[in-house]
Amino acid sequence: MMDLAASLLSPEFFAAILRVSTPIILVAMGVLISERAGVVNIGAEGMMLSGAFCGVVFSAYTGSATVGLVAAIVAGMVGGLFMSFAVHVLRANLFLSGIALNLAASAGTILALFALTGEKGISGTLDSEVLPSVHIPWIQDLPVLGTILSGHHILTYVAFLSVPAVAIFMMRTPTGLRMRAVGENPEAAKATGLSVIRLQLQAFLLCGVFAGAGGAFLSMGYVSWFSQNMTAGRGFIALAAEVMGAGGAYGTLAASLLLGSVDVLAIALAGEGLPSELLQAAPYVVTVLALALYGLRQAKQKTIGTVH
Amino acid sequence: MIRAAFASTAITAGFCLFVLLVVLVPVALLYPEPGEVLSRFLLGPFEKTRYMGNIVELATPSMLTALAVVLMFRCGAFNLGVEGSFFLGGLTTAAMVLWMPLPPLVGIPLALLAGAIVGSVVCGIPGIVKATTGASELVSSLMLNYAAVFIGLFVLNYYLRDPTAAMLSSDRFPAEYRFESLIPRTRIHIGSIVAVVACIIGAIYLNRTSQGLEVRISGTGNDFSRHLGLNSVALNIRIQVIGGMIAAFAGGIEMLGLYSRFTWQNTTGNGWTGVIVAIIARDNPILIIPAALFIGYLQVGGDLVSRAFGVPTEIVSLIQALVMICVTSVAIFQHPALRKFVQGDRGGAAQ
Repeated sequence: MMDLAASLLSPEFFAAILRVSTPIILVAMGVLISERAGVVNIGAEGMMLSGAFCGVVFSAYTGSATVGLVAAIVAGMVGGLFMSFAVHVLRANLFLSGIALNLAASAGTILALFALTGEKGISGTLDSEVLPSVHIPWIQDLPVLGTILSGHHILTYVAFLSVPAVAIFMMRTPTGLRMRAVGENPEAAKATGLSVIRLQLQAFLLCGVFAGAGGAFLSMGYVSWFSQNMTAGRGFIALAAEVMGAGGAYGTLAASLLLGSVDVLAIALAGEGLPSELLQAAPYVVTVLALALYGLRQAKQKTIGTVH
Repeated sequence: MIRAAFASTAITAGFCLFVLLVVLVPVALLYPEPGEVLSRFLLGPFEKTRYMGNIVELATPSMLTALAVVLMFRCGAFNLGVEGSFFLGGLTTAAMVLWMPLPPLVGIPLALLAGAIVGSVVCGIPGIVKATTGASELVSSLMLNYAAVFIGLFVLNYYLRDPTAAMLSSDRFPAEYRFESLIPRTRIHIGSIVAVVACIIGAIYLNRTSQGLEVRISGTGNDFSRHLGLNSVALNIRIQVIGGMIAAFAGGIEMLGLYSRFTWQNTTGNGWTGVIVAIIARDNPILIIPAALFIGYLQVGGDLVSRAFGVPTEIVSLIQALVMICVTSVAIFQHPALRKFVQGDRGGAAQ
């Protein structure tokens, strides 16, 4: 147990939290934008999966990690176009369109992988690239902080920098304000001359950018391969993080870090001989508990509001 | 009214076929003998009794999971926990069969009941959490699906595992617990009859009982039901628990009907298929039966071309995803020209 306590307080543990939280933060930022624009995107999971796949394929065929990342982002945006087409043109149900996108992405990536490599499980035969890690000068030499903060994957830094960027975009820019207006009350927004469809399309596309980048982190971050359904529900966890964060960028960051920590803690405890299956279930159970607690707090605030 | 309902059904059927061909024809053209691929997929499932039996076997669990989805959707609960309920229901039924030395006539119903009760938590908890805290049942049910699998794997690994088996699986079920085949050369079992009867009961419940009416009113919007003095919250919880029980019961039926040991390492996809079937059936319990058979037919067709030509079975999922979008598309179903065409066509034929 002493070993466990030591490992839980070690800089490596905190570094692992930042690493595991990265894809959740990225995708949650995308979900946040879509949710605030009134089109909460269940399809983020599928966008992420397409991003992970395209990152591997395009970096393998061009030999450039940058091209892979761009392809991953474009793949996410194509998912956004699909959502917008389904919801705005076909006027299909928002949630069901998201589920359909997830299903199509899961099947589509396996089909494409099979067409390219003859394998369905993993892209082992594709020689794909990995995006670089960044060592921050000065900070990397600091004793504890250096291990925690430096040497991470470039997308980890992007994820953390994107949080204030999204906060400023949503709260301080005209486009962000319009998106929120559309999300709050589409009829009123329409009456003031805003194009609901165009703003929601933009929100879907931005969500695709983040989800695609989150997918690229999975397949081009610490591993250099794609395996079928490798997102394993992270898109849904990001959705939960956004709900727990109450639609605010910093709250969503905190929720993503909390969910990431539970994941890392589960891995650490599994090393102590506890049943790994139960520990793997923990992040999902914690998510539901956190959603319930958050819901209770909201409900309480509402009743206080009505009393006064 | 009836004619309008018929039009929706006809347009749905038309779009199912349309999407099927839109995906299938280009894929078939990639192979040296496209005609063979097409005919194998489309006609192959009817060639042998065994294949037709496969359609019914595959449709059986989807009918029940779809019924669970329809009840919850009609009540206004967007609960996707059927996948997890199905898994836990199958696991619990398997555990009961292995642990309880009772005569099958008592043991089987008891095992299925236990499976239904335990499995219902995956749909029930999100319902209760929604009612008490307001947290979205959609997100929490998605989360609990994953939790259910890992908790199930824990039980399998620590309590049910057969150490002599090569792969992770439970001990063999006693032979007298397994459902017998009703039709020679197929594995169609009593569960198929149960599923059809359940859909009919579901239709009667929704359309012909006062509680079914309450469910439908409560699903259209809470303000109206509150105005009528209905207790929507209690009804919502009840329906989600019942939905979970039906889905979990389906898992138990599947286990005893088609398996000799518990071998699931992950969710089976039967819950998601149920969602698709429910959507194709346009939330109508009776139409679940043909919709489930149609999806079963697609799966058998996909399986046949996969075995004969190496076409990946994932094309079936692609077809299902597109069908889902088309069928929920308001733009298609409310399109005046299309409705007029279908209804007018019907009027002409009636004369």
